Amino acid sequence: MSHVITTEGLTKTYGSRTVVDSLDLRVPEGCVYGFLGPNGSGKSTTMKMLLSLVRPSRGAISVFGRPMDRRTRHELSPMIGSLIESPPGYGHLTGWENMAIVRRMLGLSERQVRRAIATVRLGDHMDQRVRAYSLGMKQRLGIAMALAREPRLLVLDEPTNGLDPSGIEEIRELLLSLADEGVTVMVSSHLLDEVDRMASVLGILGRGRLVFQGTREALFDRSVPDLVVDTPEPRRALELGIPAVRVRGGVRVSGTTDDGTAELVRRLVHHDVPVHGVRRVRRSLEEVFMDLTGREGLS
Amino acid sequence: MIRTAVTLEVHKSRRLRVGVLCLVMVASVVALAGMNLFSDATRAGFSDPAAQPWEALLLNQVLMTAMTAPILVAVLAGRQVDIEHQGRGWTLARVAGFGPGTLCRAKAVVLGVVLTLTTGAQSVLLLGAGLAAGITVAPPLALWGRYTFCLVLVNLALLCLHLWLAARVEHQLVGLGVGLLGAFYAVFSLLMPVWAAYLLPWGYYAAISPLAMSGDHLVRSGPVPWLLALFLGAAATLFLLACRRLDRSEGGPA
Repeated sequence: MSHVITTEGLTKTYGSRTVVDSLDLRVPEGCVYGFLGPNGSGKSTTMKMLLSLVRPSRGAISVFGRPMDRRTRHELSPMIGSLIESPPGYGHLTGWENMAIVRRMLGLSERQVRRAIATVRLGDHMDQRVRAYSLGMKQRLGIAMALAREPRLLVLDEPTNGLDPSGIEEIRELLLSLADEGVTVMVSSHLLDEVDRMASVLGILGRGRLVFQGTREALFDRSVPDLVVDTPEPRRALELGIPAVRVRGGVRVSGTTDDGTAELVRRLVHHDVPVHGVRRVRRSLEEVFMDLTGREGLS
Repeated sequence: MIRTAVTLEVHKSRRLRVGVLCLVMVASVVALAGMNLFSDATRAGFSDPAAQPWEALLLNQVLMTAMTAPILVAVLAGRQVDIEHQGRGWTLARVAGFGPGTLCRAKAVVLGVVLTLTTGAQSVLLLGAGLAAGITVAPPLALWGRYTFCLVLVNLALLCLHLWLAARVEHQLVGLGVGLLGAFYAVFSLLMPVWAAYLLPWGYYAAISPLAMSGDHLVRSGPVPWLLALFLGAAATLFLLACRRLDRSEGGPA
C-alpha cells in the first residue's frame, strides 16, 4: 500500500512545551484517514505542519513521496486542498465573489470552480453574502475552496465542527464520495463517532503522541473485551471488592485477562455468589478511544 | 505574485465603502476649510495679495487635514485588514502561497492609490472652491503642490504603520483609537514648538505645513527636508522589514 503522507519523528515544541511528539504518520492513498484526539492533543498543529504552515521542530514530512518544506511547498500545494480551523470566507462578499478570489489566487479555471461548487451542492446560495450563510454553508464553501484545485489530497481540520446531524451526514457523504473518486482525505475530529463512520484508517493522538494508527478492526483487537458476569446478586459481587460496575443482570469488569477471569469466578463461587454465566463483550470504540487518550474526554 | 495580490485586494475591497469614506472625508475637509470663503471679511481681501486669501485657505486645509487624515488612514487600514481576520483570509492566502506580509504590501498599494487620489482631489477641490468663490489673486500653485506631495507621502507612511498595527492587533478599535490620538497630536503639533512635530509620526501632518504665523502674517515655511526624508525612509524600511517578518512567521500575523 502506498502512502500519500508519511512523517518520521515529527515534533513541534513551543519553548519547553511539546505539542506534537515524535509522530510517525502513514496515510494510505485513496482512503479517508480519521485523525482523532481530544481538544488540545496536537491535531491542528500536526495538520499545519503537514501543509508547511508551521515549521516542525524536529522530524521529516513526506507528501506524495517528496519532502514537504518551505522550498517544495509551492510545487506540492497544487495537489493539496485544505481547510484548517474555521472555514474561510469574506463575509461582505457573495459566495461567487469569494470563489472568484480563490480562482484568481490559485490561477484556476471557471470550470474548476463550478465543479467544486456543484460537488458541495452550494449552487443555489452563491449569490448570497457569506455573512448570511449558516455554519454548514460556510463549511461547504470552505470545502469548495479546498476542492477547487482538484486536489489529490484533502486535509480537513474538524470540518463538521458546529454542524447539526444532517450537516454532518452531508459532509460525511461528500468525503466518502471523494475517496471513491480516488482523493485521499485526512480529516480530524475530536468526536469519535463522526470519524468512525467514514474513516477506514484511524490515527489517534493523545497528549501530542500517536497512541494508535491502523484500521478500526486493529483498534478493537488491541483492546481486551470486557467481561460480563451474569448473577442475580450483583450487590454481593461488588461487596467483594471486585473492580466492576453493575449492569442489568450482573456486573461488568474491564481489562480482565483469561487468568484474571478464572480468579474472579473462583472468588465469586468461593463466597457463594451464584454465577449463571460469564461472557466476553466487545467494548465500544469510544471506550477504547478513552483508554488510549488517557481519559482526557472527547470534547 | 504582488501583482496578483494587488488585484485580489481590489476585488476584496468591494462593498467596504472605501470610496464613500474617502468622498465623505474630502467633502468634510473642503467644506470646513472653505467655510471662511463665505465671510464678508474674507471676501473683501479676495483681490488683495496682502490679505493672503490663498494662504489662509491653504492653512485651513492643513488644519482640517491634520484633524481628519489620521482617522481616515486608520479607518481604511482597519477595514481592509479586518476582513482577513474575520474571514480567515490569512490562512486561505497562506495555503495558496501568499504570506501575510505580501497581503499587507498589496493592501498598502491599493489603499495608497486611493489615499493619493483622495489627497489630490482634496487640494484640487479647495483650489476650485477658492476660484469659484472669486479669489482673483494668483494661487500659489507651487506651494500648494509641494504641500500636497508631502501630504501624500506622510499619508502613505502612516498607512504603512496602521496596516501593520491592524494586522498585528485583531481588535480594530485599537487602530482607530491610535488614529484618534494621532489626530489630536497632529492638531496640537500645529500649536506646539516646531521640534515637537517631529517626535511622533502624526506630528508630520503639522511639520509639512507650508505656512507659519509670523505676527499677523503668514510666512512660507516647510519641513526640515532631512528629517522628513529620514521619517519616510524609516517608515518604508520598517514596513518592508515587518512584512518580511510576517511572511516568515507561522500562522496569522495577530
